[in-house]
Amino acid sequence: MVDKTDPQATKRAASRRDFLKAGLLGGAAVAASAGVARAAGEPLITEIQDWNRYLGEGVDVAPYGKPSEFEANVVRRNVPWLTSDPVSSINFTPLHELEGIITPNGLCFERHHGGTAVINPADHRLMINGLVDTPLVFTMEDLKRFPRENRVYFLECAANGGMEWRGSQLNGCQFTHGMIHCVVYTGVPLRYLLEEAGVKTNGKWLLAEGADAAAMTRSIPIEKALDDCLVAFKMNGEALRAEQGYPLRLCVPGWEGNMWVKWLRRLEIGDEPWAQREETSKYTDLLADGKARRHTFVMDVKSVITSPSPQAPVTHGKGPLVISGLAWSGSGTIKRVDVTIDGGRSWQPARIDGPSLPKALHRFYLDINWDGSEMLLQSRAIDDQGLVQPTKNELRAARGENSIYHNNGIQTWHVNTDGVVENVEVS
Amino acid sequence: MLKFPKFAAVAALAFAALASPSLADGDVGAGEKVFKKCAACHAVGDGAKHKVGPELNDVFGRTAGSVDDYKYSKPMMAAGEGGLVWDDTTLTEYLANPKAMVKGTKMAFAGLKKDDEIANVLAYLKSFSESEAASAPAAAETAEAAPVETAEASPAAEAEPVEAMAVETSKGAFGLGRVAMADEIAAWDIDIRPDGTGLPEGKGTVAEGEPLFADNCAVCHGDFGEGAGRWPVLAGGQDTLLKDRPVKTIGSYWPYLSTVFDYVRRAMPFGDARSLSDDDVYALTAYLLYLNDIVDDEDFELSNENFASIRLPNEDNFIPDDRLNEPHYAKGLEPCMTDCKPGPVEITARAQIIDVTPEGEGDENTGGGID
Repeated sequence: MVDKTDPQATKRAASRRDFLKAGLLGGAAVAASAGVARAAGEPLITEIQDWNRYLGEGVDVAPYGKPSEFEANVVRRNVPWLTSDPVSSINFTPLHELEGIITPNGLCFERHHGGTAVINPADHRLMINGLVDTPLVFTMEDLKRFPRENRVYFLECAANGGMEWRGSQLNGCQFTHGMIHCVVYTGVPLRYLLEEAGVKTNGKWLLAEGADAAAMTRSIPIEKALDDCLVAFKMNGEALRAEQGYPLRLCVPGWEGNMWVKWLRRLEIGDEPWAQREETSKYTDLLADGKARRHTFVMDVKSVITSPSPQAPVTHGKGPLVISGLAWSGSGTIKRVDVTIDGGRSWQPARIDGPSLPKALHRFYLDINWDGSEMLLQSRAIDDQGLVQPTKNELRAARGENSIYHNNGIQTWHVNTDGVVENVEVS
Repeated sequence: MLKFPKFAAVAALAFAALASPSLADGDVGAGEKVFKKCAACHAVGDGAKHKVGPELNDVFGRTAGSVDDYKYSKPMMAAGEGGLVWDDTTLTEYLANPKAMVKGTKMAFAGLKKDDEIANVLAYLKSFSESEAASAPAAAETAEAAPVETAEASPAAEAEPVEAMAVETSKGAFGLGRVAMADEIAAWDIDIRPDGTGLPEGKGTVAEGEPLFADNCAVCHGDFGEGAGRWPVLAGGQDTLLKDRPVKTIGSYWPYLSTVFDYVRRAMPFGDARSLSDDDVYALTAYLLYLNDIVDDEDFELSNENFASIRLPNEDNFIPDDRLNEPHYAKGLEPCMTDCKPGPVEITARAQIIDVTPEGEGDENTGGGID
């Protein structure tokens, strides 16, 4: 079970072998797991360790801190065959390694269409034009003089799970569900900026445009723009990461991640949508009858068990097991999450822990005593609008298999008696 | 040392463009009001001491960054060493946008957006500067005049179109931002709507588009729009939307031709966006119509005149979002909690059989794409 590509795992395995050579395995293992005191004891305790003796690094070694070297495996990953070129591609948040509801900035999945634009904030401008009383241009300095708000929101790509429509395909929660992140944004309510320019009464739609090499554009109904959209310049307290749109991005809470235009440079008001590439040829949902839904903005009620999952197997054997997962809905808060360990024959409510905020990730747990037999794990979210997360078969019955987007079907993980986990589908 | 001559030249240009006489014509009384924006950080007048910023007595003729007991930013001291001396010209530029002129200045003020405010505050400051006579030649004509007299001088020429617009502030509740200029809007607002709104004047034929496509597009999209690797397929795919692997192209799927023109103009060729002329984009769009059998004449010419008359075959197959009508979203559904399935649950699909997970053995291109 040692991953040869992971130096830390190799190191850990090596230290276990040293331990074996010392002839202490049996006793120490029992001591460690059952708490029985032995005279010999576990060397980690009975012998003085290097870190307990020698000095560590000083405070000036890492002015901007990094994760521990033992967490080197906790990284975003790409699926090379998905797209043609990494500069117009996507990578995935390692959900199986994370806890709580906030995604660290460096682990937030990336999706961009012309690479990461690098923009000096002094050179960045935001224009409002179209059906407004006064077209305006703002500098970053101007924007930071408007009243601001802090809000926690998830951002999910509409294609999250898009590779799973035809059946289980990718063996890892990171790949099946990792086109999502959740951070606290600091920004200016979009309505303040629109009111500053004065939206004319026939202004019904807003076009948001990025400054990147794809000049990303999406049409957004004016009601949403005036409701809860933010023009954000901070995430988790620090400046946006370059790959998240530094210095400025749009937040469109609860709606398709593609609409959260990064490197935001222009907002145009119009009386009709613009039918841009990302809302016609892409981000439209082809149905079995050949029709295609457009403007499917809201992200659906959804959940997934992040651990155990294929990349996070059960390594400790039977006994107490923490089943940990995430649930979210673009319509509001999560009211309840149910978990099954028998493939959906019987369910029990999970425990939602931590903040329950609208259009944000929710963390849930089910603490069980695993008897060591096979499990078929699923979670099912119910939001505050009463919407229940559907099964994959229900979605296919309604839409066929070619929709790509908005796959919020219930995920099944098979856990075998060794604790190995696989992405499966069930009857 | 090298920096100052550069921005001195810029300053002189800006000054020239701003109808120079107006600068000396500021109103001291009005300038005192404007100075309230500065007074949080700067003092001037009898007994003025440094605050957040240096005191401003005798600022005219003062070398930038030169007051001994004030701690300037390094860039400001470097500017002074480079020869920057405060006078009408240099202060006018500096106060309009401090950070643009002295990059790294610790003065956090965004700048005065109106020319008359700058002129007035300079007139006010000048009344506390004895060595004002030593200011730049451009201001020499007024150097001898007592500050109070400047108010009587003829008002500045109103004809200051570009620069004046550039600093016209928002009339909104916050008064933040400035009015966007027509040329600026034209530079960025290039979006096209299905009804043709936004199309530039221009034209191009299928025959003109073919070599453009071969040179700029075929490397990714294939000579006939068939797509190379996983790059988007642009042509063909008609009658595939009901099949297992639909091929969604301009001809088979896209609802509007305007999207082709808009996207090619804003983002193509990949890695060299905005490099095509409008006529090139018309020609390429015409060629894509030809590749999709929507026009069949190589002499067909697409222009802003006939653009909106072209319809794509799949336009009528787009419908509004009706997800909430699906049976699993029916209102009031109470999910089953016990005995939900009759017998033991069977596994019907396994990811390990397909095995396309990165770091696994296979890296086959079997999955549905998302680009």
